[in-house]
Amino acid sequence: MVLALVLSVTACGGSSTDTTSADGSEAQTELGKLVVGFDAEYPPFGFIAEDGSYDGFDLAMAQEVCKRLGWEYEAVAIDWNSKDTELSSGNINCIWNGFTCTGREDEYTWSEPYVDNRIVAVVRADSGITSLDQLAGKTVMAQAASSAVDALNDNAKLKDSLGSVVELADYNMGFMELQQGTVDAVAADLGVATFQTMNKEGDYVILEEPISMEQYAVGFKKGDTELRDAVNDVLLEMAKDGTMMEIAQNYVDDGLVLESLCLIEK
Amino acid sequence: MTFQTMVGMLAQGFLTTLAIFFLTLVGSLLLGLLVSFGRMSHFTIVRTIIKVYISIMRGTPLMLQLMVVYFGPSLLLGITPPGNWRFAAVIVAFIINYAAYFGEIYRSGIEAIPAGQREAAQVLGYTRVQTFIKIILPQMIKRVLPPVTNEVITLVKDTSLASVIGTVEMFTRAKQIAVAPNSPGMMTFVVAAVFYYVFNYLVAFVMERIEKALDYYD
Repeated sequence: MVLALVLSVTACGGSSTDTTSADGSEAQTELGKLVVGFDAEYPPFGFIAEDGSYDGFDLAMAQEVCKRLGWEYEAVAIDWNSKDTELSSGNINCIWNGFTCTGREDEYTWSEPYVDNRIVAVVRADSGITSLDQLAGKTVMAQAASSAVDALNDNAKLKDSLGSVVELADYNMGFMELQQGTVDAVAADLGVATFQTMNKEGDYVILEEPISMEQYAVGFKKGDTELRDAVNDVLLEMAKDGTMMEIAQNYVDDGLVLESLCLIEK
Repeated sequence: MTFQTMVGMLAQGFLTTLAIFFLTLVGSLLLGLLVSFGRMSHFTIVRTIIKVYISIMRGTPLMLQLMVVYFGPSLLLGITPPGNWRFAAVIVAFIINYAAYFGEIYRSGIEAIPAGQREAAQVLGYTRVQTFIKIILPQMIKRVLPPVTNEVITLVKDTSLASVIGTVEMFTRAKQIAVAPNSPGMMTFVVAAVFYYVFNYLVAFVMERIEKALDYYD
């Protein structure tokens, strides 16, 4: 297990997000049930399947973790804006949905990062925009309370050059706005951007130059190390025995980028 | 995803919408009666409390009230809510919000009855309760039906606010479907609009029939 940890940390560029806190005892939740908070409008990580159940790469992994631990699994489609309140009130006990840990290290107790994500800008092909510099004076959409908003805020040079940033509740609305021309670009996670632009080749362009680089991990309530450790161990095991890759294959058609899975040794 | 699958999934979400609608309607129409009594009470304390309650319910957004009712017990008071609190919180928040509006509508209906009728009933030996049930209430119901219809129709549309605390009613479901792989996209919202419209058309129709049925003196 130690070896796996070391390997995975190396694979993910050496950033460890171990945030065990001193007041850990208070936040411990009872083991035996994983209540996953996720955004059902976030393919390929969380979305609604044709039979009305919730599906997605992250949910499939959460399900497998529960299966291996013999735990009860529940997925709750939350309003992404309320994720912190949902977690701190105990209505959910983890956030697992393309959840960025970079920059939020001190706010949650994290699993190992499992995806190397990039925040990218998507523009319409007919806009002629090919680089981030050309977004000067333009309107850019990002999902409210998302890491794309943080990425824009952190990139002061880019943000100051923009005309305005529109924050909406979900990315689908952003892409509808992009389509009708009311925003000039959408700043989104690579997976979401890939999903939204799939089968629409020629209409949209994902800019090569990323707005920021970041990682996804499973977020637990700050100090909930017992639950984190249990889930994390299984997660690493799944990366090692090939299960994670097997699950991932099912979501390639929904925009999942296999190369981004950083726990899997290449 | 086929058109039929999409409509079926929306219909499923509509069941939640209907549950919120009917539970709220029953709860708030009854609670509203108590609110109107309290608002007209001769006891200053009762009257003041109800006035403050109505003022808060009407003066803050329902979306915010939903969040306070749902998250308040655990985050403000430290009480661990029961497992099914999510849906229960929606119903509680909707009922206490709508009861405030219904209470004021009832009051307008009750106060519109000329005082002479009350005095006449008293002379005839009716008790206060008898006067209310046999004389005031039937007339009040007739008068308040149009504004009540307004509120009921608004309620159908307000159910979509439940999404803010993660309750998947039809509108939230529509947003989820619209972004799912191979979904019919924008068409989902058009179908959702049809669902709302048809249901509200039925509500308006039923309320009109009730109005007509109660119009026995004309």
